[in-house]
Formats: sequence, structure tokens, C-alpha cells
Amino acid sequence: MDKIMTSKHIIKSSDFIKLANNIKESGRYLLGIVANDERSINSKFNIRYFFGGKNIIDEYSIPVDENFQSVSKICPAAKMYEREINDLFGLTPLGHPDLRPLMLYPENWDFSVHPLRKDYDNLIPEFKKYGDYKYKEVSGEGIFEVLVGPVHAGIIEPGHFRFSLAGEPVLQLEIRHFWKHKGIEKICEGKDFNEALNLISRVSGDNNVNIAVSYLEAVENLLNVEVSERAKHIRVILAELERIWNYVRDIAWIFMDIGFALPAQNLFALQEELMRLNKSLTGHRFMFNALVPCGVSVDFDSSKLFMVDNIIKKVEKAIKECEAFILNSSTVLDRLEFTGKINKKTAEELSLCGISARASGLPRDSRVEFPYLIYEKFNLKPVLRESGDVFARTALRIKEILLSVKIVGGLLFNLPEGEIISLCENRVEAYKYAVGNAETPRGNAFFYIMADDGGKIFRLKYIDPSFRIWPSIQYGVLGNIIADFPLINKSLNLSYSGNDM
Amino acid sequence: MSFLGKLLFKNKTQDIVSGNSDSGLIKGDELKRSVDGIFGRSLFVRLVDSGSCNACENELAALSNPYYDLERFGIKFVASPKHADVIIITGCLTRNMLNPLLKTFEFVPEPKFVITAGDCPETGGPFKDSYAVCGPVSKYLKVTMHIKGCPPEPEAIISGFLRFMDMLKTSKI
Repeated sequence: MDKIMTSKHIIKSSDFIKLANNIKESGRYLLGIVANDERSINSKFNIRYFFGGKNIIDEYSIPVDENFQSVSKICPAAKMYEREINDLFGLTPLGHPDLRPLMLYPENWDFSVHPLRKDYDNLIPEFKKYGDYKYKEVSGEGIFEVLVGPVHAGIIEPGHFRFSLAGEPVLQLEIRHFWKHKGIEKICEGKDFNEALNLISRVSGDNNVNIAVSYLEAVENLLNVEVSERAKHIRVILAELERIWNYVRDIAWIFMDIGFALPAQNLFALQEELMRLNKSLTGHRFMFNALVPCGVSVDFDSSKLFMVDNIIKKVEKAIKECEAFILNSSTVLDRLEFTGKINKKTAEELSLCGISARASGLPRDSRVEFPYLIYEKFNLKPVLRESGDVFARTALRIKEILLSVKIVGGLLFNLPEGEIISLCENRVEAYKYAVGNAETPRGNAFFYIMADDGGKIFRLKYIDPSFRIWPSIQYGVLGNIIADFPLINKSLNLSYSGNDM
Repeated sequence: MSFLGKLLFKNKTQDIVSGNSDSGLIKGDELKRSVDGIFGRSLFVRLVDSGSCNACENELAALSNPYYDLERFGIKFVASPKHADVIIITGCLTRNMLNPLLKTFEFVPEPKFVITAGDCPETGGPFKDSYAVCGPVSKYLKVTMHIKGCPPEPEAIISGFLRFMDMLKTSKI
């Protein structure tokens, strides 16, 4: 974390609006907006805007009483965060274009109750209808709507999609999410760092290792403890293995959705082998609880290392064949190219991250921008594509699997000796906070954690890459036919659970 | 083109349980016989995620991969609740998902059964104290069987189906 410059500014809400344009032009992008009820400390709410750039995190802190100026019109990426703050804290973003409730549904929640305020009395409103949710309307001759979800046809998570169509092409897509809103941020409050890790692992199960890495970056920064080199190496190996199995599965689903069952099933079989490897390494197919504060809970011996080595060689071979297969098959290319295009401009405006940003030509990769653990020594360069379509995202995944294989392969037989858990008895200073970053298979995972005076969590905010990227699908599908929507969706493969929290 | 040319999973379908392939296949055969007998050769299952972390869905989807290939034992995940005999519920049941879940259940024709997969639908899991969660599922629906695990491994889900068949045979339901 030492290499990352962080600058903090305290600023008035009205002045921030003037500044927002300059920030945007400087090329920084929105990492997240975190609201916090600090009335017990300094009798104000505080809204913190985090902007990222290469090795830089800028923080703008705005003390707030009741309402604040919305920056959504200058920085569209802020739109969802501000709606969230309106729901959970009851602070109104003035001038916001769309203040419909986000996660607290009027169908079952009394909107005068804001659960993340510290004076919320833990009384849950009676389950009844308090109002309606107004969907956007598209009207005109020959326009019709197709409603999908929340319960979908496949084995996937719930979310509601509304397509407005004129003939075949999609005119508008409106997404309504947060069906799975579990209130995780609230349950984390008052818990210690160990207990919260258990919840954090279950924010988005298939990305749990990388999310835990980000969480522990923040926690270990707060505790002022440095984990051992061996633990850092093991964390990187586990995180990259998670990336590999996620991407193998994603590519398999892309094949499945274009009707190529044989390569798909080959890759699903490979995914199963990778998950069995996870189990042999950590005792769990998703590697839950492999990471602990100040270290890791699993150690590697030579037999485990050989197992990993065997499988990543197999992955490398299969993925190279897969790449050749895609490039040599005109029917595959026909479905992937020019489908679901997200322009560079859109990606910039929405502050995208991860594969979605890199496929549209933005060099955003937390491993490069905010190097954590031992990523700095690999001298990574973000793998980039310019076209922003399904093909770009598929090709990127293939390149990144090969990159991860290279990283893991290089580490396996150079593990430094040492303890896997560092001793840590440090206490956290009251109301100190820290941020954490890590690159999950979907993009940047951002944590903000503030401790209270007893060393427990006062406020925990997690921003999942999916939360940033979901709105971009609404632009990606425009002009495409509805039958290509599943393919576009799979090419981004976002988490509903991480988004809904 | 070797990627398409060869079947990577030529012998894999025997290998349900890692390390001990026989017991897996015995389970599978047994499952097929019960499904054949009780449900006229096919058991249709509909999944509803009521607020999971997505790990359970991953494991349920893994049941279709070449290692497990659940369909060959007569169990099929269907797209519509109107086709289903059983609904499998994952997740801690959030307030926002309560109505969609009950509506989905309503559309399943009688006789119908509820199976839950994972620890969350049974107890609320780590989310049970949240303002946004109204589970466990058994508060609202009669649950025939819980499959434990966080998440339950594919093998545990297959064993769960076997147990469910046994319950039907001995009419403990």
C-alpha cells in the first residue's frame, strides 16, 4: 500500500460540484462513494468520494447534514451510489435525475426507515405495500415490451429486465436489481474482523478469495501488520487459481449460449477439475475461509504444488486450443464480433473496471494500478482490446487465463520459507479508516472500513465490480436483437449477489 | 482440430465422486431406478434463488457437467415452474424475494415438494439477523427436505435426491 499516493481533501458539497469537472478531465475515475453516519463523532454525516488513477487514490470528504449536491449529471457513474445513499441513509442528493428507491422496495419497506443510520432502532417495518415502483415507459406505434425475471429460466440468480422493442432491435433496456439485497453492510457493524470475514466470503461466492484479499488489505492496513512473504505468495496463487476457474467457466458459458455444446462441455469438465483442485488444496471447492486476517490458513507442500503444476499445464493447453478454435471458426466469430458493443466513451462515463473496461480500451487493472501483495514484481501490463464487443471480452479472458497460468507457474517452485500467519496483537485506533483494493475476475473490489473505539467494525462499505458494470449492459444491448442478450450478459458475467449485497 | 475432435470426458461420466468412482455410480444407478419407479422416469426440478451468494447455483449448475450429468439419472432442471415436480430453493430468503418465491411456488402443479439446498434457506445462515432477510424458508413453505452444506457439493445434492426418493418410497412425507 505504501506505493499508492492517497490525498485527502475536505470540501463543501457546493464546491465539490465545481471541482467534479476538473477531476473528470484529469482522467481519474470513480472508485466509489461511501456514506457514513458520523454524528456520534463529529455530529455530521460524511460522504467520501474516491477517485482512482495509476498509483493514486484521491479522496474528497464532504460533511453533510440532510442533503447534498448530486454529481450524477457530471459523473454518471455516481448515479447508483447516490440512490443507494438516499435509501440507506435518507440523505437526499439534490438535482439527481432519478430518485426511485433502489434496494428498499416500496412493495415491502417503509421509506421513512433508513437502516444504515446509527439511530435506526432495528425495528423492521411490517411487510405490506407502501407504494409503487414506477418503471420507465417507452411509447409509440409498434413498440412492445418483453419482461424477464426476477425468477429466470436457468440456474442463475434473480434480476428483472424490461426490454422495449421496435421490431427486432432493442430500443431500451431497464434493469431492476437488488432482489437479493441482504443488508450485509449492516450486519458487519459491531463485528470483529474475523467474524466479518466470514460474511465477506459470502458476498459473491465464486469471487470470494479475491474479495477477501481486498478486505484483508484494508484490515491489515488498519492493524498496521505486514503478512509474511510466504502468506503473500500463497494468497496470490489462490487468487489467480480463482481467476482461472472463473474464466474457464465464463468461456464455457459463452460457447453454450452460441450453441457449441462440445467445447462448452470440455471446458465445464475442466472447471470441475479446477474446483476439485481447490478442494484438495484448501478443503473447500470455492476455497472459503482459506484466507484469515494476518495470513492464510492453508500451507502448500510439494505434493500440492505438483498438483497445481499439472493442472495449470492442462489448462494452458486446452485454452490455446480453444483460442485457435474460435479464431478459425467463422460461425463462432459471426456470433461474437460486433455483438454487445460498449463504447470507450460509455466505459469512461460509467467508470467501468475489470474485463469490461479493458475490452473497451481502458487500461484498468487493480493489480497494475494499485499493486498489492507481490503483484508489483511481475511488472504486469493490462491486457487490452479496443472493440468492446463480446469477442473482445472472450479474447481477453483467454489472454488473462494464460497470464494467470504464467504467474502461478512462476511462483510454485519459488515459495519463500516462513510462517503463514503473522502474530498480530495491535489495536486499531478509534475511528481510523482504511481502504482496500483487489482485482477480482470481474474487476476492482473496493473496501472502506472504519473501526470503532473497541476495535470492532463501525462502518464497512464494499463496492463490487458488478455494481459499477451492470448499468453498462443497458448501453451494450441497444440495437442488438433480444436473442443476443443472454450472450451479452454472459460475456460480462456479472454477479447479482455482489451487486445487491 | 483436436479440441473438437476428442471427447475429453470419454470415461469421466463414471467418475462422479473424486477418487472413488464405484460408489458414485452405484448412487446414480439407484437414483435412476427410484426416479423411474416413482416419477414415471423423470423428475422435473425448478430452481429459485431467494438470496444466496451464488455458490449454491454454481454447484447446482455443476450437476450438468460431464462428471455428474444428472440428466442421465432422470432428473432435469426445467425452465418453468409449471413443468416442475420439485422446487429447489437456495439463499437466505430476502424480503424482496418473498413474493417472487411464493408466486413461483403457486405455479407448480400438485403434488409438489420443496427441497432447500445450502445452510442459508434452512437457518438464514450468516445473514439471519439482517433487516433485509425474512427467512428461513420453512416460515412460509412446507419444506420436505434440507440439503446441508455451504454450499452443498454436487455429490451431496445427488445424495440428497436419493434421500428424497427414500422418503417418498417409505411415504414419510
